[in-house]
Amino acid sequence: MTEGHWHVTFCIYRKKGDQPPFYQDFPLEVDPDEYVLDGIERIWAFHDRSLTFRHACHHSTCGACGMLVNGVEKLTCITPIRAVTKNGGTIRVEPLRNFPVLSDLVVDMAEFYLRMEQAHALQVVPVAQSTLPYEPPPFPDDGLPHQRLNDCIECGMCVSACPIALTASSYQGPAALAATQQTYSLTGEKSLLSLVDCADGVWRCHSGFECTAVCPSNVDPAWRIMELRRQVIRHRIQRIFHQDR
Amino acid sequence: MTQTKAHVIIIGAGFTGCALAYDLARRGLAVTVVDRGEIASGTSGRTHGLLHSGARYCVNDQESAIECIHENIILRKIAHQCIEYNGGFFVALNEQDLAYQARFEIGAQQCGIEIDAIHPQKARQLEPNLNPAVLAVYHVPDGVFDPLRLALAFAASARFFGAEFLPYHEMENFLTNGQGTVTGIKLWNRLTNAHSELKADLVVNATGAWAGMILKKIGASVVVTPTPGIMVAYNRRLINRVINRLNEPGDGDILIPQRRMVVIGTTSYEAEEVDYIPVEKEQAIQMDRDAISLVPGVATCNRRGVYMSARPLIGKGEAGRSLARTFKCFDHRETDGIEGLVTITGGKATTCRLMAEKTADLVCQKLGLTATCETACEPLRSYREYYRPSGVNR
Amino acid sequence: MKNNQPAPGKALRWFDPRHRQPGTWAFILNRITALGLTLYLALHLIMLGKLAQGPDAYDTFIALAKTPWIKVGELLVISAGLIHGLNGIRIALTSFGIGVTVQRQLFWGFLTLALLGTVIFGYFMFFVH
Repeated sequence: MTEGHWHVTFCIYRKKGDQPPFYQDFPLEVDPDEYVLDGIERIWAFHDRSLTFRHACHHSTCGACGMLVNGVEKLTCITPIRAVTKNGGTIRVEPLRNFPVLSDLVVDMAEFYLRMEQAHALQVVPVAQSTLPYEPPPFPDDGLPHQRLNDCIECGMCVSACPIALTASSYQGPAALAATQQTYSLTGEKSLLSLVDCADGVWRCHSGFECTAVCPSNVDPAWRIMELRRQVIRHRIQRIFHQDR
Repeated sequence: MTQTKAHVIIIGAGFTGCALAYDLARRGLAVTVVDRGEIASGTSGRTHGLLHSGARYCVNDQESAIECIHENIILRKIAHQCIEYNGGFFVALNEQDLAYQARFEIGAQQCGIEIDAIHPQKARQLEPNLNPAVLAVYHVPDGVFDPLRLALAFAASARFFGAEFLPYHEMENFLTNGQGTVTGIKLWNRLTNAHSELKADLVVNATGAWAGMILKKIGASVVVTPTPGIMVAYNRRLINRVINRLNEPGDGDILIPQRRMVVIGTTSYEAEEVDYIPVEKEQAIQMDRDAISLVPGVATCNRRGVYMSARPLIGKGEAGRSLARTFKCFDHRETDGIEGLVTITGGKATTCRLMAEKTADLVCQKLGLTATCETACEPLRSYREYYRPSGVNR
Repeated sequence: MKNNQPAPGKALRWFDPRHRQPGTWAFILNRITALGLTLYLALHLIMLGKLAQGPDAYDTFIALAKTPWIKVGELLVISAGLIHGLNGIRIALTSFGIGVTVQRQLFWGFLTLALLGTVIFGYFMFFVH
């Protein structure tokens, strides 16, 4: 055994076509500072070429590699093996919850991406307004109209963790609602509010706050959903007094 | 008799494959893209994310530099949806860097890259986290993109024009007619474990660093050197502009902002086996040092990710840096006497649209079509449309 | 075939606290206490119905109500009422955008209050009366 290396068993969810799913063990020698995704990629490269998983950027900008690691949603490209197991331990890797599984660890993002599009989710936002209002401004600001790629990387992990998304397929979900809140705060487009002011929108959330707990990217969907509720109520009250709106 | 569309198979759904699918589909061809993984799961997805202004190559590799600045301007227009365009700085930190200054200015001018000398004091006002010891600063039109979403935007546009994508379909072998003409490919559907065959009028090998491996199956070859480089991402966005070291291309000389992170890159070494290249710990530590020398605040950050990406460099050189970063399109009828097979490799993310244009030109010429490229003007479709089920809104 | 898609039948999994956050624990507690309180309401109405059967039935009921097991049950009802009510205040506050960033602290705070209330009630029920 190479010095400092760990022996870890990857227990991986496998499923092909219409066949029933099962779990397959892959014992691996790893450097504990490697990321979970490195281990999965090595299993594909050296042990089983039929293993399928989503991945692209390997540094948390694309959001493709969200999976269930030991029961918790993790962005596997930035989750060190050290953080989820110990020497001689097991890492259980499963596809995200609440998404249809296409094969092994690959889930179907079609519906999710469609909802993000319907929510008018922005991918590039002004740097000055890119953080949450309660955060101290973390970025240098020289007063120029800089833009940056948004916090939300559309990994789907908030939807996977959401207890309501578990039972209600029509729920718009934390990611889309958070995106609606952000777009509304940047554009003031009132039609966005009517989109979420419904039984499958902001009012469906049951305050589990799981979305915020698993978000790898500081989006804080729960805060945004609550803020969106406030905006919806404010808009409704305004409408009572200004019939023309 | 109705004329059916010519069918082209593209192997590899990286930047080149997706951009080529878009170009060919727009020209009216029937296109199928196959990849053994998800879109951009190889080199493309792991790209540093720098939308090159070309200034990096304006002294040593002017052909690449000119390609970069042209494509930089086009991509800013057509792929604005996934680019943070805040410009970049080239900074001199020592006498050697200053000595490069004159060549840099001339090179940039020759390549048509707009550079602006900025007083170091002014530069530090604009980027407070920049190393206070900077001696000279130039502004260049650099940008930063999201790798997966850039590829998806091309793929979504390709799908809009009718191209079909088969992710998780591994190309197993070529089909030939027995007389040296490629007539299709054998596929392994990794989602269901099923095997199938797919016929085509032409097959394009757009597998980048894997191009040589694919061609071995049919006894053809191109000389591609997979040249991986290490990148390290840190957990704080300390800058808004790309910070480049004002010198010849070297290790750890580009620090980019991306979302809430900064990402330093990169190194350069050669690898034989491309399917899995381990990340060298020492190189990552070297990246830390290089990042700190550009922006000292990196020392207070935590690493968020350490990863590598294998560039496809054309040719065989002692040091990867000496190989040109331009791309090349091979017609295997001329190189190996094999008809119906084209390989595109080399190049870089910034020039992927141009690579696609040149390859599509060759494909059309080989198929006797006269359609011309139309990908440079109109913005790409929303990247999210790639995941839209077929038949929806079409 | 195992289905990974949302389904109403998966509601039982709401009650699995493993790998969950205080937010979900509060969600689970709220549901359990709600079920308990509803059950109690039903029992309460049945007992009230006994009153219509005359003084004897009422006395038997009061005697039953003084047994320790029923007292424990009553304490549980009080505890459930406190937990459900106080957590309800937390949910109402956060739903109006108040205290969202400190919702965990609110949960622990209100839960402590509820347990404290239960202990005080228990003291009076078992040792004073």
